[in-house]
Amino acid sequence: MADTEHAVGMTAVEKILARASGVADVKPGEIVYPVPDFIVIHDGVVTAAKRELDALGITRLADPDKVVMVTDHDVLYTNELAVKRGAFNRRAAREWGVKQFFDAGQGGHGHIFPMEQGMVTPGTLYFDNDRHCTNVGGIGAAAFRVGTEISRVLATGTNWIMVPKTVRLNITGRLQSGVYARDLGFHIARQLRYGSADGGFGIDIDYRVLEFAGELEQFNLAARVSLCSTPTEMRAIGVFFPPSDQIIDYAKARAARPFTPMFSDPDASYEARIDLDVSTLEPQVALPGAPHNAANLSSVAGTRIDHAFIGSCGSGMWDDLQLAASYLKGQKVAPGVRLLIVPGSEQSTRRMLRDGLMQIFIEAGAFVLPAGCGPCASGRTGLVHSGEVSISTAVGNGAGRFGAKDAELFLGSPATVAASAVRGCITDPRTVVAFHELH
Amino acid sequence: MTEFGWVLKGRCYKLGHDVPHPGGVIPNRLITAREMDPQKLIPHLFEETDPGFHERAKAGDIIVAGRNFGMGPKVNGYIAMQAIGLGIVCESMPFLAYRAAIGCGVRVLTDCFNVTELCDTGDELEVDFQTGQFINRTRDIHKEYPPLPETLQEIVALGGNTGWLKRWWQQQNAPQP
Repeated sequence: MADTEHAVGMTAVEKILARASGVADVKPGEIVYPVPDFIVIHDGVVTAAKRELDALGITRLADPDKVVMVTDHDVLYTNELAVKRGAFNRRAAREWGVKQFFDAGQGGHGHIFPMEQGMVTPGTLYFDNDRHCTNVGGIGAAAFRVGTEISRVLATGTNWIMVPKTVRLNITGRLQSGVYARDLGFHIARQLRYGSADGGFGIDIDYRVLEFAGELEQFNLAARVSLCSTPTEMRAIGVFFPPSDQIIDYAKARAARPFTPMFSDPDASYEARIDLDVSTLEPQVALPGAPHNAANLSSVAGTRIDHAFIGSCGSGMWDDLQLAASYLKGQKVAPGVRLLIVPGSEQSTRRMLRDGLMQIFIEAGAFVLPAGCGPCASGRTGLVHSGEVSISTAVGNGAGRFGAKDAELFLGSPATVAASAVRGCITDPRTVVAFHELH
Repeated sequence: MTEFGWVLKGRCYKLGHDVPHPGGVIPNRLITAREMDPQKLIPHLFEETDPGFHERAKAGDIIVAGRNFGMGPKVNGYIAMQAIGLGIVCESMPFLAYRAAIGCGVRVLTDCFNVTELCDTGDELEVDFQTGQFINRTRDIHKEYPPLPETLQEIVALGGNTGWLKRWWQQQNAPQP
């Protein structure tokens, strides 16, 4: 019997759901109504939610103090509609009485800065309109995407959640030098895509929580957040890492409220248990089309690029920026290549200035956009032209994700993208001078 | 809830496996434009795969789909389906697509094993979404499928998330007895 007050062993996410729902335990398939610690809504969907509620005469929110409005999808207002939307959102924040309103140029990426500011801590549960809220599994929290039904959460303070099943992914071995969390993420996406006959995990990840276990000390918070990204693209409803002591200390240092980290019981029930040895993995890219099109970088090394972008909720933490900077220090972006850097938070932008990263990026010839989603949010800034080739750390690379439908969009780690921007072609980060200086 | 029409009687409109929401159900441009007006969406339902669908579709008709129907958890196509009065019976759909259909008030059954082998486009179907009973009148086939979970039936019966909120708000403001 597990050392737990629960009659049946539960996973960490089940415990978080039970705690927020005010019940002793939950089981997969049950419908619960969790009361979230807070609610996040982004700039792109405030209009629809506000209009829906206004039309019903619902002008007061269940708890405006719990609502966090973030501006990350359209920070630069590149068209008239975006300007109007910004004005609408400011009015909505006033009318709703939302004090935690992060307007354009404040806060940054809604799936990044709430962790840095201590709003999200281990054990936190919140609702979000956007599916990449799963990022917070990296810190040991759980967030649930409700899409347009965020209106019900705003009005009533909760919404229904069907308790998801959990798949446990046990990591064995350590990543080699020059191979990073994003590389592993693409590899995992590929395994999630295919059946066991085709070398994949052979499981259905739709609406499952992917819980990482095993040799996790090698992954810092940024790496864990990165690893939450691709399973989400494969339709996981959540990703979870048991928080390390280091991550609990990080959260304690900035926590906005007391918190209790949650861990899975030894007798928790999993739909499947998978082992994955990561020790032989090479640097990966996702070939154009989808993040699960993972391939060894060596298979496309030398492909000429026009466009490179480092950022997005998949690689927008401070450590990602620092990693990219280590490959750009004293280097120049290759002629004919545009390199965009998009920090995950305004806090990171200010730290870039203090710690010299801004100088590295600017002197290398990159340009730095305000914190947010950058090109990854339905292609509003820094787009690609027909026939161009891009390599980026975006979360997705479906045709037309940021610009022309016939552009080729590759994905790679921040190190790969930085090294490729310098060489002007897709480059294994282990083959550049900066790598040897780092290791 | 008793007056709500849980049984749909109409023609079958059969689709294959892996029909995505963007493109397969409704053009992606309407999704990215966040178009939510049913009257603007209806003329474009299944436009890219079956032009003129909206002119033939009648209230009560049932979309029968294979595995993995409606990938991409967006609401736009379901808004149009609900406004016309269509139902969905499918072999499987991503959970968030299922959630989106319920949130739009669409009568939907999922996990209906091999249902695409029991009917063809044009067959006369009768489906009770509250009990899971599926009848193909044209071929005299009767099947039982998992019904819509009881706790979610209320959302569909009220016309989806907005209808549910409307009723909730009325209850909040009702005079206390």
